[in-house]
Amino acid sequence: MGDGAGALERAAELLGGARLPVIGGLLTDIAGAQAALALAEKLGGVVDHAAGTALTRAARIRRETGVCAASFGEVRNRADVVVILGDAPFDQDPALLDTLFAPHDGLPRPGNAKRQLVALGGRKPSAPKGVPLTSIEIGKGGLPAAIAMLAAGVGQRRFAFKDKSLQDKIESVADKLHTAAFAVFVYSAAELEEPVLHTVLQIVRDLSNKTRAAMLALPAPGNGEGVNLCSTWTCGLPVRTSFARGVPVHDGWLYAADRLIASGEADALLWIDGLDGKPSALPGRVPTVVLSARSGSHRRGDIVIEVANAGTDHEAALYLPAITGIGMVRPSGQGSGKPTVAAVLTRLSEIIDARGGR
Amino acid sequence: MLILLQGGRVVDPAHDRDAIGDVFIEDGRIVAAPTDGRRPDATYDLRGKIVMAGGVDLHSHIAGSNVTLAREIMPELPALAAAGGVDIAPSPATWGSYATGLRYAQMGYTTVIEPALIPTHAIEAQIELAAIPIIDVGALGILGNDDYSLGLLRGTGDASELQDYVAWTLSHAKCLGLKVINAGGAEAFKFNVRTFSLDDEVPDYGVTSRAIMRAMQKAVTDLGVPHPVHLHCNNLGVAGNADTALATMEAAEGLPIHLAHIQFYGYGKEGPKGLSSAAPRIAEGIARHKNVSVDIGQVMFGQTVTISGDILRQFDGRNAANPKKWGLSQGEGNGTGVVPYKYRAKSFVNAVQWSVGLEIMLLADDLWRVLFSTDHPNGALFVRYPEIIQLLMDRNERARWLERLPQDAREVSNLAAIARELTYAEIAIITRAGPARLLGLQDRGHLGPGAVADVAVYVERDDKKAMFEKADYVFKDGRLVVRDGAVTEVTFGRAYHVAPGFDSKIERRVADFYDRYYGAKVSTFGVPDDIAARPHRFAKVPCQS
Repeated sequence: MGDGAGALERAAELLGGARLPVIGGLLTDIAGAQAALALAEKLGGVVDHAAGTALTRAARIRRETGVCAASFGEVRNRADVVVILGDAPFDQDPALLDTLFAPHDGLPRPGNAKRQLVALGGRKPSAPKGVPLTSIEIGKGGLPAAIAMLAAGVGQRRFAFKDKSLQDKIESVADKLHTAAFAVFVYSAAELEEPVLHTVLQIVRDLSNKTRAAMLALPAPGNGEGVNLCSTWTCGLPVRTSFARGVPVHDGWLYAADRLIASGEADALLWIDGLDGKPSALPGRVPTVVLSARSGSHRRGDIVIEVANAGTDHEAALYLPAITGIGMVRPSGQGSGKPTVAAVLTRLSEIIDARGGR
Repeated sequence: MLILLQGGRVVDPAHDRDAIGDVFIEDGRIVAAPTDGRRPDATYDLRGKIVMAGGVDLHSHIAGSNVTLAREIMPELPALAAAGGVDIAPSPATWGSYATGLRYAQMGYTTVIEPALIPTHAIEAQIELAAIPIIDVGALGILGNDDYSLGLLRGTGDASELQDYVAWTLSHAKCLGLKVINAGGAEAFKFNVRTFSLDDEVPDYGVTSRAIMRAMQKAVTDLGVPHPVHLHCNNLGVAGNADTALATMEAAEGLPIHLAHIQFYGYGKEGPKGLSSAAPRIAEGIARHKNVSVDIGQVMFGQTVTISGDILRQFDGRNAANPKKWGLSQGEGNGTGVVPYKYRAKSFVNAVQWSVGLEIMLLADDLWRVLFSTDHPNGALFVRYPEIIQLLMDRNERARWLERLPQDAREVSNLAAIARELTYAEIAIITRAGPARLLGLQDRGHLGPGAVADVAVYVERDDKKAMFEKADYVFKDGRLVVRDGAVTEVTFGRAYHVAPGFDSKIERRVADFYDRYYGAKVSTFGVPDDIAARPHRFAKVPCQS
């Protein structure tokens, strides 16, 4: 731990003098993300988010094929068949089913079938009261094949699978989807890889020719969706973007923070951890500045600057699942008196400029 | 500091002025010539130059979750457009927030209105708007497919509660006016309805598009919001939809209404291909209905992307996507559809579209009600405005373009017969004076004393595209921000909005609604004054009650 002013000076010296600094973690609010992007541009560095793998995977699908998405509110109110893919949705949000299946009637919805739940994954969930559940438990590694079979079933392409019982169950789900008024697939981009995401999107598009269907992604934790949106409106590109060459360049593999550190391409890390939630492990080992709202998320030798917790200590713009978008969160308490991530990054930028820039 | 802009041709149609003369600026405002013999602190010699108020763009998709979704789907848009000859840097950053403000300023625009703000996503929209440098902004909030409005309109329809709800929405999201997009159509689409016209009923709610539109008009009029309901009609892009546009004009029954991107509704069904220009009928309808204003939504050939809350029509257009990818996001109220699109000069359909927009402008009887836009990016990127101005001012240029078009398109177009060339004053009306007046922004779009000192100076050239591409000087609030087409100072402007009063009962009702049906707190999408972390970001435009 260093004293306030001294730590800022040492951080500015480290980051300003680095060949390729990486700004990672990015567990922060929109203002923090804006300041981080501005700093990355000034330093000619790279930005990545702790949930960068999932975020860039989803971004790649969007720019290759597009989306067919529904908001949380639309799924909650309109979907008559909700298909949960994989385990991650439940792991990430244990209250997911309670929020998707409110105990009272929702807004007017298409069709008048009873709302039902399908779970295609590793373990059987407990269904909300009164909601019929079809659970197809599939071992780890079996999910891509199961989803491929579902796509074939929906597209009415014949196939034969070694596990006839599983095939029958999948084909029966395909039938459900055809007769659904609005089927929605709930998933996490952290769990489903690109080919599987493409397949699910294709299922939705096939269904959309006759009926309605959509996908609902669990949002990336740590304000990942918010930070990624901010990156996009700022420089046109998602996280894992490099500003080293003046024009921003994105590559989901090349500009992953942990890869850059492990390979030695990156020579400094600015790790931002200013939110609640599961702490993320810092990648690799390079000279590091940590902006932290929690104790213990740094290692010996890190330059640590304490920051406020966005949303808890101060008003913050954060991605909120309930509105499937960025909203304002206001603190209930007093605030910690610590500086915001945005304020610290802005100060760092000023000190770097005063030292004669990069 | 007193600034004198001396000896330019001052084109200020709001004051019937088009003559060589002087413009004085002090403390960020246009002022009358001093009578006390005071000498100016700075003088700009503008001989040979045209002086106008800064441009006011009343319909351009520049910020919000819908725009950013399009950025996610098409980061390569600037590169494709540049490859097609458009003068922009080919980087994805070119259509980020920062670059948007700079480019508008370079062209002499100083106020731009985002026409489609999703109320539950107001925070992202306002943060993005605040990241756009130089220009002042405003946003139109979308209602008309949201369940709260439809619930009020079901059955008897409580006009006073709807009025409170509209007022609350505009205040909560800090919007300048109300946008309605295919009223009822997006909600109907959620029920798998795939076509939706003026007298079709929304499933379950049983309310027609016409009734929604009328109710919104009444609310906006009774609230005294200066800008009329800004309506995206049904049946966008459908052959024969001039009937829809004209029926909608009739349906307004004399109350003010603004019809967005009217070109996309300018189609007849005549000719061997079943598509023709109905621009003369549209122009005649606008002339006859003095309560109607429009913006054009001019199409230009080249690569772009369409962004629209008309998810019904966007879904229908998905197979025409070029490149072959598209996005549909079903959300609260309208949602968003994103379909990349390339308008081609060799395409019969696109050629007709290109002709229709120009025809409507050139046939206009009252240009104060026929305003310039490309519905950026839907018809064309906003960087194409100078080319369109050239086409409006130069009939020989139009003739050269017409020669490149397919013969069958020329046969159903009326453009060749139109000799009219717009004057500088008329260009100023459709790009500044008219939009400002229609938006209720009384302090801009003109150069009278008291106006904000947003001034654009252009070197007069025969090549109107070159002339309007790069302003020679641009002043924003009296500060020089552009010189010879390049930004010299990056400033940040203000966001204009209305704050109509409402009965406080509506706050509890809406809060309960969002809590019950969405598990959401309305406070999370209320826009705070300090969202931009800059003082005086927001400025209220008074309602006229």
